[in-house]
Amino acid sequence: MTIVTFVKHVPDAEARLGRGPDGLDLGGASFALDGMDEYGVEQALRLREAGAASEVVALALGPARSEEALRSALALGADRAVLLETDAALDPIAQAPALAEVVREAGAKLVLVGGKQADWDSAALGPALAEALGWPLLDWATELAVEGDGIVAVHDVDDGSARWAAPLPAVVTAQQGLNEPRYPTLPNIMKAKRKPLERRPLAAASATVETIHVERPAHARRNVVLDGDVATAARELARRLRDEAKVL
Amino acid sequence: MDFALPDDLLALQRAVRTFAQREIAPVAAELDRHPRFPWPTLRKLGDLGALGVMTPEVHGGLGLGQLALAVLLEEIAATDAAHATIAAVTNGLPQALLLEHGSEAQHERWLGKLATGAWIGAFCLTEPHAGSDAAALRTRATKVDGGYVLEGTKAWITSGGEAQLYLVLAKTDPAAGARGVSAFLVERGTDGVSFGPPERKLGQHAAITTGMRFDGAFVPDGQRLGAEGQGFVMAMGSLDGGRIGIAAQAIGIARAAFEAAVRYAGERTAFGQPIREYQGVSFKIADMATRIEAARLLTHRAAWLKDRGYRVTGEASMAKLFASETAVAVTDAAVQVFGGYGYSAEYPVERYLRDARVTTLYEGTSEIQRIVIERQVRREFER
Ligand SMILES: Cc1cc2nc3c(=O)[nH]c(=O)nc-3n(C[C@H](O)[C@H](O)[C@H](O)COP(=O)(O)OP(=O)(O)OC[C@H]3O[C@@H](n4cnc5c(N)ncnc54)[C@H](O)[C@@H]3O)c2cc1C
Repeated sequence: MTIVTFVKHVPDAEARLGRGPDGLDLGGASFALDGMDEYGVEQALRLREAGAASEVVALALGPARSEEALRSALALGADRAVLLETDAALDPIAQAPALAEVVREAGAKLVLVGGKQADWDSAALGPALAEALGWPLLDWATELAVEGDGIVAVHDVDDGSARWAAPLPAVVTAQQGLNEPRYPTLPNIMKAKRKPLERRPLAAASATVETIHVERPAHARRNVVLDGDVATAARELARRLRDEAKVL
Repeated sequence: MDFALPDDLLALQRAVRTFAQREIAPVAAELDRHPRFPWPTLRKLGDLGALGVMTPEVHGGLGLGQLALAVLLEEIAATDAAHATIAAVTNGLPQALLLEHGSEAQHERWLGKLATGAWIGAFCLTEPHAGSDAAALRTRATKVDGGYVLEGTKAWITSGGEAQLYLVLAKTDPAAGARGVSAFLVERGTDGVSFGPPERKLGQHAAITTGMRFDGAFVPDGQRLGAEGQGFVMAMGSLDGGRIGIAAQAIGIARAAFEAAVRYAGERTAFGQPIREYQGVSFKIADMATRIEAARLLTHRAAWLKDRGYRVTGEASMAKLFASETAVAVTDAAVQVFGGYGYSAEYPVERYLRDARVTTLYEGTSEIQRIVIERQVRREFER
């Protein structure tokens, strides 16, 4: 079985983003393989190592620099990679048909993708891919196994977790808790250079995203100082944390 | 001329940086306070592939060169100098020497173990009375049937008692001076080999250093490295690379202190503004940045030349001298930027200062580097 694992090249968690004349200025940012997508890559590798899959294909869609995310996936252990190259801004629904085509062409039975990607924080790509493929979707998986002809996945619900089974082929979205991604070892980083990576220009998409305005979310601080003796202040702090901030 | 590191090296650098921040950073301060040899993180460094950087892939290493080793050691040192010392020694000295001078049988027996980090290697040149004047070493290797018997005492052995393989320099011909020294590969657990307690020292506490004694230890012929009498020449040859490694380590320590100082100077306020607004602080930061940059250029160039087959004795000594003195100056300045908090064990900069101090001492003191450099200068002028 072939698994396709989607990877997005996103600004890394520590990147400082600026605001440019037409939207975000990513000039000074460093990029990395998206964290949630990485759980998907790791799970694909584990399934291959457990004998449930024979090939792991990393797939990306985006500008040329996305090749780096694919090289990271190859360094972690993916067998080959495909980049659908475009500089256009596309939303997940516009991306899905092109990605689905690569998935079908690879003869894959399972697609893994992060629950959401750190750049736009939209949780739409997994569902959009499932829709484009006409496959079932198991989202936000914290456990995933191949059993017989299908898969079994666990995901969190409000009061615990739920276990779902689905036939293959299927799309699964990954999140924290699914696994602990491995480090790419240095020899594997070297070998990743020699693994096949296919670049294809993306055919013009039906709908692109136009940025109209970008704004940094305001962080209003309340600057409250609790005075009085320590015991009273502590009680008041606990009350506010519980009743107002609702974090206790 | 191209000053950019190649893409693949940048990828390795990123991988080691991430690894060090996630795996080594959380234990560094605690290892300094309660010293022990950091086996768990060393094993992981070995799994990562960072302990056999220059050993060819067929023996389980990365098959890269001195520049790659320098880049990776800087990353490790920027998180914890003690790990970098252990890594610099096992990569750069016993392994590099074994690779260059070992027989096929010796490669088979030990290279893989060292390259994968399953074993750690140590280098045993210094003796209690012979440091800078290493050729004055007295450890004796007497030829007997089938091998040699070693007698004597070594001092300051990094990873002593913990490492599994020791590259030992001993005199096979006491009358022949430096030409009477041979090299031996000695495994831990050999009869007649014992270690002293860990030295108590200023910094780098987890990089355990001990004395080592040979009381009639038998070492078979097959464990002599290279020809009889070639030991000192081989050891001195490996020091060019070793010094580049220590230079890289020193840059890493300096960088850690510098980055901490830059952040602190932006956060700490005095007289109503962040202290970086005062020239007394900002000029320190400018000087720190400049020195680190210069040290890295010297170091990378020496490594780059060595990878291209040039003899770099002068360049390696310049890099080591300048980078180690930079590390001492920069970590000292960082403590000053932190004020009283710089003196507190609550913040890491006092540890950086203590860790940096030894870089002007081991692998040849600053005085010895200057002697080496001046000798090269003289040679060029007299040519
Ligand atoms: C933490 C640590 C780890 C070490 N690890 C190892 C190891 O793994 N293996 C190993 O073999 N060794 C190791 N060493 C030993 C180290 O290389 C020596 O300490 C170093 O070479 C200096 O020798 P010494 O301490 O005997 O000082 P000395 O040689 O006694 O020097 C004392 C002072 O005299 C100066 N001096 C000496 N000769 C001259 C001269 N001709 N001109 C001007 N000044 C001079 C020196 O620069 C120094 O300032 C380690 C040392 C330390 C502190």
